[in-house]
Amino acid sequence: MKEGQAQALAARLPPLLVAAERVAATVAGGIHGRRRTGPGESFWQYRPTQPGDPATAIDWRQSARSDRLFTRETEWSAAQTVWLWRDPSASMEWRSSRELPTKRDRAELLALALAALLLRGGERVALLSGALGPTSGGGALTRLAIAMDGEAIPPGPLPAAAGLPRHAETVLLSDFLSPLRDIDAAVRAVAAAGAVGHLVQVLDPAEESLPFRGRVRFAGLEGEGETLVRRTEDVRGAYAARLAAHRDGLAAIARAAGWTFAVHHTDQPPQAALLALHSRLSAPRAGGRAGC
Amino acid sequence: MLSLGPLAFVAPWALGAVTFLPALWWLLKVTPPSPRTVRFPAVRLLFGLEAREDSAARTPWWVLALRLALALAIILAVAHPLVHPAQPLARAGEPLAVAVDDGWASARDWAERKAYLDEMLARAERADRPVVLITTAPPADGSPLTSSGLVPAARARALVQALEPKPWAVDRAAAARMVAALPRERSMAAVWLADGLDAGDGEDFARALQSLGGGLEIVTGRTARALLPPDPASPADRLLVTLRRLAGTDDPERVAVRALDAAGKVLGREEVMVAPGQDTATIALRLPTELRNRLTRLDIEGERGAASTVLLDERWRRRPVGLAGGGDPAAAPLLGQLYYVDKALAPHAELHHGEVSELLGRPLAVMVLADLPAVPGSTGERLEAWVRNGGVLVRFAGPALAHAASEARGGAPDPLLPVRPRAGGRSLGGAMSWTAPQGLAPFPESSPFAGLPVPTDVTVAAQVLAEPAIELNERTWARLADGTPLVTGVRLGKGWTVLVHTTANAEWSTLALSGLFPDMLRRLVALADGIAAPGGGDAALPPAELLDGLGRLTAPSGAAATLSDPARAVPGPRNPPGFYGDGAARLAFNLGPRVGTPSGLGAPSGATETRLGERAREIDLRPALLAIALVLAVVDLLAALALRGLLGRRGAAACLALLVAFGIAPSGRAAEADAFAMEAALSTRLAYVRTGDTAVDAKSKAGLAALSRLLAERSTAALAEPMAVSVETDPVLFFPLLYWPVTPGQAPPSAKAAEKLNDYMRRGGLIVFDAADGTEAALPALTAGLAVPPLAPVDEEHVLTRSFYLLKELPGRTAGAPVWVAAADATGTNDGVSPVVVGAADWAGAWAADERGRPLHAVAPGGERQRELAYRFGVNLVMYALTGNYKADQVHLPAIMERLGR
Repeated sequence: MKEGQAQALAARLPPLLVAAERVAATVAGGIHGRRRTGPGESFWQYRPTQPGDPATAIDWRQSARSDRLFTRETEWSAAQTVWLWRDPSASMEWRSSRELPTKRDRAELLALALAALLLRGGERVALLSGALGPTSGGGALTRLAIAMDGEAIPPGPLPAAAGLPRHAETVLLSDFLSPLRDIDAAVRAVAAAGAVGHLVQVLDPAEESLPFRGRVRFAGLEGEGETLVRRTEDVRGAYAARLAAHRDGLAAIARAAGWTFAVHHTDQPPQAALLALHSRLSAPRAGGRAGC
Repeated sequence: MLSLGPLAFVAPWALGAVTFLPALWWLLKVTPPSPRTVRFPAVRLLFGLEAREDSAARTPWWVLALRLALALAIILAVAHPLVHPAQPLARAGEPLAVAVDDGWASARDWAERKAYLDEMLARAERADRPVVLITTAPPADGSPLTSSGLVPAARARALVQALEPKPWAVDRAAAARMVAALPRERSMAAVWLADGLDAGDGEDFARALQSLGGGLEIVTGRTARALLPPDPASPADRLLVTLRRLAGTDDPERVAVRALDAAGKVLGREEVMVAPGQDTATIALRLPTELRNRLTRLDIEGERGAASTVLLDERWRRRPVGLAGGGDPAAAPLLGQLYYVDKALAPHAELHHGEVSELLGRPLAVMVLADLPAVPGSTGERLEAWVRNGGVLVRFAGPALAHAASEARGGAPDPLLPVRPRAGGRSLGGAMSWTAPQGLAPFPESSPFAGLPVPTDVTVAAQVLAEPAIELNERTWARLADGTPLVTGVRLGKGWTVLVHTTANAEWSTLALSGLFPDMLRRLVALADGIAAPGGGDAALPPAELLDGLGRLTAPSGAAATLSDPARAVPGPRNPPGFYGDGAARLAFNLGPRVGTPSGLGAPSGATETRLGERAREIDLRPALLAIALVLAVVDLLAALALRGLLGRRGAAACLALLVAFGIAPSGRAAEADAFAMEAALSTRLAYVRTGDTAVDAKSKAGLAALSRLLAERSTAALAEPMAVSVETDPVLFFPLLYWPVTPGQAPPSAKAAEKLNDYMRRGGLIVFDAADGTEAALPALTAGLAVPPLAPVDEEHVLTRSFYLLKELPGRTAGAPVWVAAADATGTNDGVSPVVVGAADWAGAWAADERGRPLHAVAPGGERQRELAYRFGVNLVMYALTGNYKADQVHLPAIMERLGR
């Protein structure tokens, strides 16, 4: 079901072409061009034959039309693997009202939609938690959804990046409400393997605005404990300041690792977030924070 | 009791609890409701966040108000407030004497009187006062007046509930004697709910009550008005009714008098304005003769009571009478043959003059032929046929008749004369005679004239004599002093022929000049519908239908005795007003003319006098306050749950729905009963009694449903789906037929249900008891409380065997068992239609079919013929229920006989 929703969402965007800058070791023989010459099958351009070019590279038919010799160049086709992760922890299983999806639902939808786009573009996708290795082709999205369902909750804020190849491209969807110190450590561990990441913070609007009134006892969902607030209206400002500080911290962590950071709210349409991810994955990466 | 203007508190000490309300307010304020819990992922960001420490969690003001209101409602309910509290009469515990006038004059506002008594006794109950209840009208069972003795007020309330006004006057002299006999060890306050009339002994009674020593309060209401029956001899075109009200009533009243027929239909209505100070009024009811002859009752609109109801009997009916006379039509009026007959009958009957042949052309009850000899030819035959069909032919002798008699000597006798006249007349006291004119002998008992006074001044100078014959004696209705017949009569077919042996004018006798003559003619006219049966007379009339104190006609109760002298009888327990006599010959015995001229009751000195309805009714606020407290408590509970977040939106809606449903539950029940009545009444349908045995009920339902379908196919009776009824709770009067399968485990109907079923049967309902499968033994117990008439097996002649199909046997699933219906002579009501059919053939079992029309049960001994006969019986049964004895009509007999013989 979520798969279908993700497919529908992805259908509205062009196939995602990951920037080919950092293909390096993860490159595998792919099916789409990289808009530059290289090994591949589709024609890219003719250029005058230069000394040193192998004679077999000369396109004789083209050369026969004029006096000069032309060499036929093909476009470089290659596929890249994108490693996806969405936070399966209890705090994601929350929504402030019946009309909104839970944060986890939204994160899953974004992950699958992104996967669908990538697969359409001929890329390969994998799960960062190790539940599914790089995969592509027709049934890949289904396999991904099934594997994602069975993902275990990591002990830390991010999964351990064991077995991640160098220069891998990762997309991490979570609410990132854990202490900044933990997140920083986890991001550093992943980035140490040379991976590049995109952090997307998925938040419920209520977490942004704290719309409660009166005397409320707040309890965490992951055993963080509880706190009694006598007048929630009074602490609203302080809470907003704390949230902003936390978010700045996250952005700083991402910047330090050369990653990107974006925020998405569950009351916004998922297309906006997907488009932003799409553009960040396909364009040469600009680090730092981006809102969406 | 504490009084604050119109408000009073029974237990004012409870109001002291109001001083605790501020404490409660403070307590509620410092104990806030527990906070609601919210699970929140970003709780880490909230740790350690605490706003400035203000007055903390306050209980919301509306919760505070709610709880204070709840406490206040409970405190007020305990204090038991009353609006317009009735003034306490005397100290608590002191006995109270309550005298109630329950004669006819209290009937007008009886409901208000009863409500007043109930309220007063409720007060006495609160004050824990014993009560002596004294009624002043003689009890209906004929026993002497007795007081209730000192009883608790609650018991007296129950007695008052059963109290009804009596259709006779109060007997205050006897009541005063009874009061005098009361024990007097303690002083007793007295309240007298008086009817406002004084027959001379009111003051004595009041003094007797005052002698009890506790003061007297006289409470009066509106006194009933009396309606006097119209003079039977009132003008031909209208009934003149006299209304009499309490003398000295000063307010003008608009009074409407209604005229009703036996079925209770209003045939006429007339209004009159009674001016202040006027105590009688005459109302003229103008009605066509045909309608006037149907009247049985006149009453005052909007007033129930025995005195305001006038019953009308035959005396007020007018019958069409044809008059034909011989002699010289041009004779002077006083010498005309018909002059005196016309004058005597005109007030009572509608008269038509003319030739015999032309009179026969119009409907007539009575024909008077004065001195006309035998009518010859076809007119004579028509006249004879008319008499045989129920006409009353009254002939007067005269010279022409005497002449014809001597002419016809030896020939065939005139069939239209009761006796054979002898040739030649007889004259008495003439110039050539030694005998003196004869007077009249008293009328024989068997004569229609029995009981009429015989004036001594009537003399007969000439008459026609009858041939001696064996039957002459019994045909003689009136004789002269010497024993010769003066009036002879005999039945001819359904009618009568009557011969008056003298003339209708003053030629042969002075009879026509006497006051006896109109009376005799009226009796003869009254013969027209066969009233005066031989042997009847005014000797002693058994009660037929009696008026109760509220003007309703009821069956006579045990204490009512025969009425022997209607002119002088005084209405009382032995002779309540009503109809007396057998069958159609009923005499109306009215209360109105016997109550005399009412005069008002004066209050003796020392008594306080109040009028009913002047004081506002006491209203008890306690139940309302308790209800408010309950609702507030529920709302508070919901609010507390909502404040803690334990109540989702759906939960709140459910609670609210529950609360609303709780509030409207009783009306829901009424709506259900309404729905049942609507469903049952909007289309004709059969019904079966729910026995509690699922298999039997299903069989009844399937059987009646199949029968209803069959009826729609074979007849024009389109019945809706049958309904199940519970005889205890559901009304049954909507159904033409109630099918009651007898099961051994069935409890007999309660007294109330039995009364309902009896009423149903009496009003034309039909109950079919089916004691199938050997359950006859349970039948007597089941029908113990029901008024089942004597039963007889259905014979070949019974309507049930030919109401649609002609049937010789009435089988069901089993064959051979007889079917019982009310015995032919046992059912006087409902045209002889039996209210019950009792059988043991399991008819529903034979009728029952599934939705495809296949029978559910096998019939025994078997065969489709038996099932078809069972269906035919079912059709006959429903037709019997719907059309009664219509098929018993003799009109169809020849055709039916012919088909039966074939």
